[in-house]
Amino acid sequence: MYRKTAFALRDAFVAGKCTASQIAAYFLQRIQAFDRDLNAFLSVVADRVMERAEELDIRRAQGKPIGKLAGIPIAIKDNIHIKGEITTCASRFLSNYKAPFNATVIKLIEAEDGLIIGKTNLDEFAMGSSTENSAFQVTKNPWDLTRSPGGSSGGSAAVVGGRLAPLALGSDTGGSIRQPAAFTGTVGFKPTYGRVSRFGLVAFGSSLDQIGPFANSVRDIAMIMEVIGTYCKYDSTSLDIAPENYSDHLSAPLRGKRVGVPWKCLEDVLKGSEYDLFHQGLQVFKELGAHIIDVDLNKISYSIPMYYILSTAEASTNLARFDGVRYGKRSEDAHVIDEVYDLSRKEGFGKEVQRRIMLGTFVLSSGYQDAYYKKAQKVRTMLIREFREAFAKCDIVAIPTTPGSAFTINSIPDPLHMYFQDLYTVCANLAGLPAISLPICLDTDNLPHGIQLLGPQLADGRVLHFAHQFEKARGAHELVPPLCDREVS
Amino acid sequence: MHHAYAKWQPIIGLEIHIQLKTRTKLFSRSPNRFGDEPNTNIDVINTGQPGALPVLNREAVEKAVLFGCAIKAKIAPFSRFDRKSYFYPDSPRNFQITQFDSPIIIGGVIVADVAGETREFGVHHAHLEDDAGMLKHFSGFAGVDYNRAGVPLLEVVSEPCMFSAKDATAYAMAVKTIAQYLDISDCNMEEGSFRIDTNVSVRPLGESTFRNKVEVKNMNSFTNMEMAIESEIARQVHAYQINPREDPKKIIKSETVRLDLEKKETVPMRFKEAAADYRYFPEPDLPPLILSQKFIDNIRQDMPELPHERFKRYVNELKLTEYNASILINEKELSDYFEEALRHCKNAASLCNWITVEFVGRLKESGIPLYRSEILAKQVASLVNFIEEKKITGRIAKQVADIMVRVQGKDPETIIRENPDFQPIHDTSAIEPFVDQALIENVQSLKDFKAGKDKAFNYLVGQVMKLSKGKASPDIVKELLMQKMQA
Repeated sequence: MYRKTAFALRDAFVAGKCTASQIAAYFLQRIQAFDRDLNAFLSVVADRVMERAEELDIRRAQGKPIGKLAGIPIAIKDNIHIKGEITTCASRFLSNYKAPFNATVIKLIEAEDGLIIGKTNLDEFAMGSSTENSAFQVTKNPWDLTRSPGGSSGGSAAVVGGRLAPLALGSDTGGSIRQPAAFTGTVGFKPTYGRVSRFGLVAFGSSLDQIGPFANSVRDIAMIMEVIGTYCKYDSTSLDIAPENYSDHLSAPLRGKRVGVPWKCLEDVLKGSEYDLFHQGLQVFKELGAHIIDVDLNKISYSIPMYYILSTAEASTNLARFDGVRYGKRSEDAHVIDEVYDLSRKEGFGKEVQRRIMLGTFVLSSGYQDAYYKKAQKVRTMLIREFREAFAKCDIVAIPTTPGSAFTINSIPDPLHMYFQDLYTVCANLAGLPAISLPICLDTDNLPHGIQLLGPQLADGRVLHFAHQFEKARGAHELVPPLCDREVS
Repeated sequence: MHHAYAKWQPIIGLEIHIQLKTRTKLFSRSPNRFGDEPNTNIDVINTGQPGALPVLNREAVEKAVLFGCAIKAKIAPFSRFDRKSYFYPDSPRNFQITQFDSPIIIGGVIVADVAGETREFGVHHAHLEDDAGMLKHFSGFAGVDYNRAGVPLLEVVSEPCMFSAKDATAYAMAVKTIAQYLDISDCNMEEGSFRIDTNVSVRPLGESTFRNKVEVKNMNSFTNMEMAIESEIARQVHAYQINPREDPKKIIKSETVRLDLEKKETVPMRFKEAAADYRYFPEPDLPPLILSQKFIDNIRQDMPELPHERFKRYVNELKLTEYNASILINEKELSDYFEEALRHCKNAASLCNWITVEFVGRLKESGIPLYRSEILAKQVASLVNFIEEKKITGRIAKQVADIMVRVQGKDPETIIRENPDFQPIHDTSAIEPFVDQALIENVQSLKDFKAGKDKAFNYLVGQVMKLSKGKASPDIVKELLMQKMQA
């Protein structure tokens, strides 16, 4: 059953070939068997998922209508609120924070009978590219337990990669869905900014954050996007447009379509085997009858500094609410209000979070704002313009997802070095574009590699269409990490 | 102006925070209501829960636009919200959402009456922002009530265009009256729905640059405000005068003071705020606020009559004195009471006198304003009509008014009907004896009248009225007197 896509699982459930309770119990068993090694889950809501599955079985037996995600176990990154469950954001600060409301995505998933199975590990407050910054545990890559699954949504990526659930939600501020997807051989999609409601997602960089899914096939991504990609009145940045039917538009041929590649900014950094693997990916499009054309996206080279100025600026204020006054960590050594602030935050936040708050505070402070924050905003506008010009010439832009494959845990101690993991991914967040990472193939180390496709704003359907055609031709999505490629009893 | 300040020019600018009267808060659906149990009107947004997002309240925008239209300001078609960062327990997110760079209202003029002179004061801008919660101190600990957190505020920032405490008070009162006429705020200074911060500086006459300004807080009434500004002007002038050689920047620093109500003077705030860096930047959770011309025009169409327009109408059309007109308009509810009475009575001047002098005076001790008493505007109008129609005399009317105040809600018609003493004498034969008696008792007056002294006639009228205990119809008294005296 673990090799089935979410789409196929739902079919089996609807056709009566299995019950939701069987599906839920089956995946709970896989979690029990493999998560000891992977450390992907921060909490598993076994009782909750079994209860919902049983209700669903009764409803099906009664012939009542069944939702679009019926019977599909879904894991949720632990920075998204499920009412009544703890949302830790992998931070000591929130280790006991019970979510007072449901995120919009949770409401939408449960309204369509999706089975939420647990909360997954992440870098604290989604700040990191390795999931090593979790205050609680280090998640392992199912392809090689000595390696990182990437981050910050490393838990969700490992869950879907290891087939512990067919679907998972992550959040992507600068690549936090796509980079771990590339590292774990899964499909990870960051929708157009505003497509999926951020209500109930603990904010990191509000103008960049976007919730998105992990799956093992593009069709599954399309299926869950049809559920979660709707306007939400509780998020003022939510796009007030009708939800789209992505699934119906996946199968058109790509003959004559144009795939843009920004060669100029890739040639300096993309070398050796990385270059060859990317070429293999482009070859697939050629074989499908698409043209590869050169586009100018030179501002991508500025995207790391731009991103680390803007995201930390927003984060420094978003995380100001964690002060020990109303909820979360309050230092036991604090006697006066300034100590409540200082000690609670010092004890509650990890190093990377503290580093980014300080960086963000600095770039916004008077005397420095023009040189950093405001300049970065200007370059961001230029980048958006460059993308607009590029999309006048091509239908989709293809770039690698990451500079390399999954790295060994603890092998990148230098934070600046780690930030360069986001080299190819942050531009989609800065420009608000839909972007997907797909597995190309395994390399000689038996590790997956990803290719990234970016579309113009609102062209989420187009991105999924190109991705589906690529996947069908390539077939890489059928790769399962050997460690998890077995039934458990 | 005090003689000692003759060579000094005070410069005053005001920042007025008006709490907008909306059903819900600026960025959430919690009720916007004063006086409830602590932490009952709260939700995930105004307690700063992670994952909660602000959604702008349309009603607050409409009320802000209405104010902007009323002061003839430019309504920005594009405005924006910013985050203002500072750590304080009453701030649930530790940043306030305000409009720093692009406010919703730009410019504008406040028309106010300063000592009988109509003046125009410039508004720099007005912007929307959310209010903070309130700290409550108990023995040994402090708590925060977040009921107020997120209440919409319209902050109206004046130009530094006022030159005396009187200017500032007149301006602030005019802003308050406008907000009341627009019905956008309760403007209750004691409850904090109308809060004034003042910036005061002084400079020698003729100096073209501004000197350091001092912010004055803790002014919850216009009386306190005037006192505080005057005291602060005096303090600054004195400080400059006794240090004529020192750099002015070192004499008066940019600081915050408050009015000490016991000393009746300004004193430095005990906790001086450190030079704050609020690190303003655009609020990424809210898109820019874009207002169409149609939206603005629709709001402008609903503009009620404004205080200075009503003032003009009272003076020009109703022929009230400027003094009386300003007494009425300065208290919107009293003016609305007058308007209601005016629907039943034609004599505006007499009505105004009865309302602002007779009834307000009679009610003063009770502490209940006329418009909140049980006495209906229609009843006051009816009383004035009785006088107009000569059915009662002014003297009786005053007695009727006494009873109307004592037995509130009782109709003047009933009061008059029930008391025979209140019914005026129209019967000539009943009045004649009083006239005769008066003439006998005042021989000298009769002589004076014949000698051409008109005043003597009025005196005699008064004497007749007195003898009739005010019940005689004055017109008949005059007629009879004239007949007899010319005979």
